[in-house]
Amino acid sequence: MRLRWKLTVASLKMFTRQKEAIIWTMLLPLFMVFLFGFVSFEGLEPIRIGVAGAKDEQAGRLVGRLGEVRTVQVTRGEESSELAQLKAGKRHLVLVLPEEFDPAGGSELRVLVNDGKPEETQLGLVILRKVLDDATFEMHSAPERIPMTIQSVASRRSSYIDFLLPGVLSLAIMQSGIFGVAFGFVSLRKRGVLRRLSVTPMRPQDFIAAQVTMRLMVLLAQIVLLVGVGIVFFDLQFMGRLLDLFAMGLLGGAVFLAIGFFLAGIAKTEDQVVPLANVVSLPMMLLSGVFFSRSNLPEPVRLVTEFFPLTYLADGMRSIVLEGSTLPTLWLQLAGLGLWSIVSIWLAVKVFRWE
Amino acid sequence: MPPVILAVNNLCKRYGELVAVDRVSFSVHRQEIFGILGPNGAGKTSTLEMIETLRPIDTGMVMLDGLDVQKHPRQVQQRIGVQLQAASFFEKLNLTELLLLFGELYGRPVDPLKLLGEVDLQDRAKAQVDQLSGGQQQRFSVAAALVNDPLLVFLDEPTTGLDPQARRHLWGVIRRIRSEGKTVVLTTHYMEEAEELCDRVAIMDRGRIVADAPPQKLIGDLLASGFKQARVERLASLEDVFLHLTGHALQED
Ligand SMILES: Nc1ncnc2c1ncn2[C@@H]1O[C@H](COP(=O)(O)OP(=O)(O)OP(=O)(O)O)[C@@H](O)[C@H]1O
Ligand SMILES: [Mg+2]
Repeated sequence: MRLRWKLTVASLKMFTRQKEAIIWTMLLPLFMVFLFGFVSFEGLEPIRIGVAGAKDEQAGRLVGRLGEVRTVQVTRGEESSELAQLKAGKRHLVLVLPEEFDPAGGSELRVLVNDGKPEETQLGLVILRKVLDDATFEMHSAPERIPMTIQSVASRRSSYIDFLLPGVLSLAIMQSGIFGVAFGFVSLRKRGVLRRLSVTPMRPQDFIAAQVTMRLMVLLAQIVLLVGVGIVFFDLQFMGRLLDLFAMGLLGGAVFLAIGFFLAGIAKTEDQVVPLANVVSLPMMLLSGVFFSRSNLPEPVRLVTEFFPLTYLADGMRSIVLEGSTLPTLWLQLAGLGLWSIVSIWLAVKVFRWE
Repeated sequence: MPPVILAVNNLCKRYGELVAVDRVSFSVHRQEIFGILGPNGAGKTSTLEMIETLRPIDTGMVMLDGLDVQKHPRQVQQRIGVQLQAASFFEKLNLTELLLLFGELYGRPVDPLKLLGEVDLQDRAKAQVDQLSGGQQQRFSVAAALVNDPLLVFLDEPTTGLDPQARRHLWGVIRRIRSEGKTVVLTTHYMEEAEELCDRVAIMDRGRIVADAPPQKLIGDLLASGFKQARVERLASLEDVFLHLTGHALQED
């Protein structure tokens, strides 16, 4: 145990003293986030208002009036489903009417607002107030304003950075797993470092364990760094729990580390590592929905990418970050990564070479 | 004579068709400096690495400090220190950190400065291996071979590629190791190294040991057989000239 720990500490030292490693694992993902984060892919969004509750005539008229406002899109539905849409960032406001809606007053209205989109919700509230007041005026000469209680709901802002950040995080985990391990290990083997180690009583598994521990520690640091930067600089709404993100990240890390060891096993020299690693990682980088949603892919391609380990990881991470999903609800991603880790570890063990 | 610490018996190694090591037998006594002298491809490295548990033994047997190397590789590894012909160390760790880490591999505490002192590298303690000269690197790998306070130290061509001064410097280091009670087995291509440094020399050629005796005895036997050098004996060699002009040998003194 002590030996493994000392080896881990030594590996961490070596890692942190290696400029390239820091650049690739820490700075490059940050750079991507900054690059894309400050590029706005969004125009002016229409204000999406959901209406729930009463379905009577008066309610229908209200919806009609709202719909007449040019920048507003109205939908009707049950409160629960509209709330879910709000949380997912697909509504800016949800107006909850009482059982029977009377514009003349009396009953109180509830408005749920998306707290991630302050501009749109502010505008939406002003429009809503105006439309309600108009309706009240029509009924009464001495109108009494209908009271509205406003309830802020933590919701996903559908901004690009929110989509991007968990994707880049998954990508960073994949890259440092595959490239870091494959390149590092082949280089140690080729330079004879591993041979030198093998005349000591150290067992190879001690060394592998230390390497894996070191890489997983770096991975946790990557998560903290990227999420931290997202929160500080990009107002990322981190909805989930860090522990869930860690767990998902570690499982993904296991898959990609094993792929790294697998490639180290089949590559003879450092020169062979890079193309091999690229063959594995490039399709995932481009097709696993890291930078752009997979829904735009042609159907057969999309279906295949469904099974990429990076897709599972990116989807899982994204769901934790943006929707606050907990692990049990992400069973599909966990199962996918679990299967991949079994397969890739099996492959890695099969081709593993110390010399 | 001191007791035998290493006994090699009928050792063989094949690589496909090639018989790289062919029924090699020799024994080394405690506190001896034993040299294996031979041309490129003679099988020196293959022989050493089989003894060091690094390559599987095809046939034959090696007993090291009373242990069968094939049966007890781990105990053997605890007792030996190894410098490989072609090996390097982790990058990005300095000499002190490397020695401490190697100590951990043997599960024993190490005094890095003392070890570096033994190979005259105290002042490079914070340097990384790639910042050392070739001779210093060789001396460092000797230091790394000493972390576990081994009974037997194996040095595979420790002085190849070094200039005569650096070579002599390393001889001093090797003699010092021996004077601490350790046994040294080394390989070399250099006749004068074998002659000056080694107590006993095995000459190896094409996988076989063709002679095994103290260097003076080998020379004596040759002369006794009526051998005459083809060229005229000189009183000094080019190496003597070089050493004379570049300031003398052992920097340690
Ligand atoms: N792993 C290997 N696979 C195949 N052949 C090998 C291998 N290692 C060594 N050989 C061959 O075995 C023979 C002996 O090699 P070895 O390295 O033991 O020689 P050596 O005496 O150490 O030579 P040198 O002085 O050049 O270091 C050589 O012909 C070499 O090509
Ligand atoms: Mg050799």
